[in-house]
Amino acid sequence: MSNTSIIAPPEDDITATAEIILEQAANAPVSIQINNVTVSFKTPKGIYTAVKEIDLTVKKGEIVALIGHSGCGKSTLMSTISGMVKPTSGEVYANGKKVNSPGPDRGIVFQNYSLLPWLTVYKNIEVAVGAALKEVPAAERVKLVETNLRMVNLWEHKDKLPGQLSGGMKQRVAIARAFAINPKILLLDEPFGALDALTKSAMHVELLKLWNLDHREKTIVMVTHDIEEAIFLADRVVVMNNGPAATIKEIVDVPLPRPRNKKFIVHDPMYMEIHDRLLNLLIDKFSIDDEL
Amino acid sequence: MYFIAGMVIMGGIWALIAKLTKGEIPAPLATWTVFKEVIQHPFQNDADQKGIGTKLLSSLGRVSIGFGLGSLIAIPIGLVMGSSKIAMRIINPMVQILKPVSPLAWFPLGLAIFQDSPKASIFMIFICCLWPTLINAAFGASNIPQDHKNVSKAFGFSKWKYLTKILLPFSLPHIVTGLRLSIGIAWMVIVAGEMLSGGIGLGNFVWEEGFNGGSVAKILVAIIIIGVVGSLLDKCFTWLQQKFSYAV
Repeated sequence: MSNTSIIAPPEDDITATAEIILEQAANAPVSIQINNVTVSFKTPKGIYTAVKEIDLTVKKGEIVALIGHSGCGKSTLMSTISGMVKPTSGEVYANGKKVNSPGPDRGIVFQNYSLLPWLTVYKNIEVAVGAALKEVPAAERVKLVETNLRMVNLWEHKDKLPGQLSGGMKQRVAIARAFAINPKILLLDEPFGALDALTKSAMHVELLKLWNLDHREKTIVMVTHDIEEAIFLADRVVVMNNGPAATIKEIVDVPLPRPRNKKFIVHDPMYMEIHDRLLNLLIDKFSIDDEL
Repeated sequence: MYFIAGMVIMGGIWALIAKLTKGEIPAPLATWTVFKEVIQHPFQNDADQKGIGTKLLSSLGRVSIGFGLGSLIAIPIGLVMGSSKIAMRIINPMVQILKPVSPLAWFPLGLAIFQDSPKASIFMIFICCLWPTLINAAFGASNIPQDHKNVSKAFGFSKWKYLTKILLPFSLPHIVTGLRLSIGIAWMVIVAGEMLSGGIGLGNFVWEEGFNGGSVAKILVAIIIIGVVGSLLDKCFTWLQQKFSYAV
């Protein structure tokens, strides 16, 4: 958006841009298809259903945020896409194939970074690339590690151990690792939840930068608690009901044009409208005077 | 500096006991004279006159063989136990029953099997070195954080890769802890064992001097040597432990 966007453009312009964005989205091919998925677990206390009868379609190159209260099953739902969890009923298709187990076409960034503490930054990525991309020749794999480390500006730290890095740096390594296997789909499970607000903000821009460098071809699904994060990053925000047996409450479109600017976006009337909508969907008490 | 203070206090208590027993327990200075005498010709190896160094090396040798064999067997079994619930359920009861048995009780068994005193000693060391290493290795392997397992699953690690890049590195600090405990026990047991078995060694030296009317001073000398060597062995493994602790 141009520098003059603090003065809001005329209403017609906003709706026109939004319409174009939505139309383009509608015409894109399907990347992830979730059909009537229910996930239940056997616990000592009986059967616990995390999510129930979820239907969701994600298009190629879309960024979708899954948002909801703690325990609403968003991570579980995303695990069915990654293949770490098998749905109790229903199917998930990713890149045209049914999901049975994790695979190199779906990269995962975990909430706790999950870097192996005894391997250097370089080796952490190398080991993952080596395991996921077995058929790729060694020379090319070396290039992948270097390219992705440079992309997240951590090449100078390649020989450090994770214990010597800050939280933000560790998460950048985790992201570089997920990007390095060149997946068509990227799954991020509250990736910035453990970071402070300033680092988090920088990471949003980093992530979008990486996504852009790849010509916006990667489909990204992200679990988050943070409404502002969801609106800034996503094309659509999927709001979940509270668990157990959570379902989708509502899907909110975010047809804000890209590239988005952190400073200017908050003044955008459509942003404010979406922000209000999400607040209403997620929060019950807005002030000490509210009664439930 | 605290080390010297500790040693001085210990020396003080020793001198006090010497005074109280009116010389039955020799004073530090008297023992020092005997110590100098004992360490003459340390590596003498004649038929009936062996130096203290030879005896020390003899004991260490037996410990090394028993410890080495024990560790070689305990580590893999421990890791398997920790990784597989079924293996744990089958093997653990055996461990729990055999573990409390005093190592010395294994000596007669070793004698019956090997018909040879030194070999029976080594057998005894071998058995007692198994338990701490095995239990610690199992603990390490069974407590791999879900985070690490997730990485393996998410990126499609082969079983070999999981073993070498996740299971072993994670379990290594625990294994070293087990080894450190095992060597401590082994060193204690060899001294006791040599009293039973005869053969050249520090334990035997104590037996000769203590029960066959030798000098108490020589016993104290032996105790000091045993203690110092034991603490050096422990220090080796502490150093190893520090080398393998990663900030998780």
